[in-house]
Amino acid sequence: MSQLSNIIRLSFRDYSHEWRMSGCFIFALSSVLAPMMILFGLKFGIVSSMVDSLVENPTNREIRPIGSGRYSEQWIEDFRKRKDIEFIIPKTRALAATIQLKSDTATRILSSELLATAEHDPLLAGIPKIPADYDEVILSHSAAKKLNVQQGDRIDASLARQFRGKRERVHLTLNVIDIVGSTVTSRNVAFVNLDLLVATEQFKDGREVPDLGWDGDSETSVSRVFPSFRLYARSIDDVEGIVTELEKQGVRVKANVAEIETVQSIDQNLSIIFWIIACVGAAGFAFSLGASLWANVDRKGKDLSVLRLIGFKSSVIVLFPVLQSCYTAILGWLLAVLVYLGFEQLINRFLAPRLNLDQSLCYLLTEHFFWALGLTVFTAIISAILGGLRASGIEPSDGLRDL
Amino acid sequence: MSIVYDLKNVVKERLVDGVGFRLQVPSIEIKAQENIALVGHSGCGKSTLLDMLALILHPDKSDQFTIDPVDGESQSIDKLWHRQRQSRLSQIRKQHIGYVLQNGGLLPYLTVRENIELPRRLLKLADDDSINSIARVLGIHRQLDKLPGLLSAGERQRAAFARALSHRPSILLADEPTAALDPITTRKIMAVVMELIKGLKITLITASHDWAHVYKMDLRVLMQEAEPVDDGRIYQSTFHD
Repeated sequence: MSQLSNIIRLSFRDYSHEWRMSGCFIFALSSVLAPMMILFGLKFGIVSSMVDSLVENPTNREIRPIGSGRYSEQWIEDFRKRKDIEFIIPKTRALAATIQLKSDTATRILSSELLATAEHDPLLAGIPKIPADYDEVILSHSAAKKLNVQQGDRIDASLARQFRGKRERVHLTLNVIDIVGSTVTSRNVAFVNLDLLVATEQFKDGREVPDLGWDGDSETSVSRVFPSFRLYARSIDDVEGIVTELEKQGVRVKANVAEIETVQSIDQNLSIIFWIIACVGAAGFAFSLGASLWANVDRKGKDLSVLRLIGFKSSVIVLFPVLQSCYTAILGWLLAVLVYLGFEQLINRFLAPRLNLDQSLCYLLTEHFFWALGLTVFTAIISAILGGLRASGIEPSDGLRDL
Repeated sequence: MSIVYDLKNVVKERLVDGVGFRLQVPSIEIKAQENIALVGHSGCGKSTLLDMLALILHPDKSDQFTIDPVDGESQSIDKLWHRQRQSRLSQIRKQHIGYVLQNGGLLPYLTVRENIELPRRLLKLADDDSINSIARVLGIHRQLDKLPGLLSAGERQRAAFARALSHRPSILLADEPTAALDPITTRKIMAVVMELIKGLKITLITASHDWAHVYKMDLRVLMQEAEPVDDGRIYQSTFHD
């Protein structure tokens, strides 16, 4: 224990005494480690951002039917139960799914597209309340801007039809319960409850809507059939399977399959390139660190011989260069982390906005820093042990004569 | 007086610049508190013999190699080397031997005081006033808090003697300790050291190539004779009384 505590003390005293040399070792280590960390930060940042945006962007998971079909409520319900489908909701005919919106603060009437929505709609991710009644609406950013309204405002919605030779118009007051961001859609869209969308189509078709007091022909059909639907796969990997299933049922659809494959391929190739660079860099880093520590052990051979002469055991003396290597590894890592964090800020603050990226271009998780520390200390210890064993194997009498 | 070192037919062979070198010690007995000088020209093997006596260099062959630093505790060094008992060799070395190198061998990152304290710390000896006392006797008490790099050559050698003696060893080995010093400084240092080792009852074995200096110090001299053997392929050096 005495020898161990003494060797810790001596190794640190020597390390701090030779602060210029120690500083050079620390700088040498961090100058190799910091670029590696930046490279990993970029790999982790850019690639993760790409994959995340691919996965999170509902547009990439949307499967759109081509043309009109006949989809029963039961057919849609059956699809909703599939595990690979995150969301499906019927759509009415495009012509019937438009509504005129007017606010007190805007001069003109806005013709807006109506889209049915419900809980778990990927387009409305993060929106706390979804329209549940006839009088609730969520507006797209574009529609809200043109109507000059904010969340909580009330707007007038109106529908017109030609019925029994007369032109009729009905009005409905809608509460704007939320407004979605511009990234969701650039169109003028009003997200409403499915019942309101259906009621709109019924009114335009000349049928009555008792719930809203709109007159018309009585409803005869019990089961409803929709011409289209809005469908999102749970992940980009599920898109292809759903497309195949729908096509098997004779439903012609369109999806971003080619784009998904392209981005997945880019992701894989970029990862391979990054890993090749990283492996070459890591090998260079290990050799560089090993060489500098080996040289340090060689330089310390004379002092180590004196320690053996005074009575230190060989096994304890091996710790002298190992401890000094650990000091270099820890301080070099610390400096590399500071350099990395500086560059991370620089890249994310100045470069990311130029590329119009919302996410960080370069970032590492906390565990990545500790992995880097572990790898550095491990490499340092292995190099120093090899050097230390070599030093302890030298006859002390040989080392002393060089003093 | 007990026998501190007992060597019989000890041989150490080395290759120096392509030429074989053989150090041969037919028989040497060194008694406790004796003051010995190993005398011979440079390169004859004085340091090699000192290193073997300091237990940092193992002999290639020996009929007998024992050390008895404390009366009645004889240790067979050749057996310890043979059995790779490095810990035991380290133990004997740190407890009973002090070694002064030609250029001091002080650790440059420790102050003079810390250098002198080091052998005592290893032995967990009490932190008494002995460091100050020995430094005062050797005339380096004002240099104790300086780093060795700031000392003169003479002061460094005094500090090296202080370190070698700080833990009260029974054996002091010195390898040409005054070779780098001027005659006046040499005389002063050695006079003080001789007084110290006499007071501390220490056995001194010093290597020197300075005949005049050795004779003045009244030491028992172990002479070296060297001759080429085996058609000049081996340079053989033999120590004897």
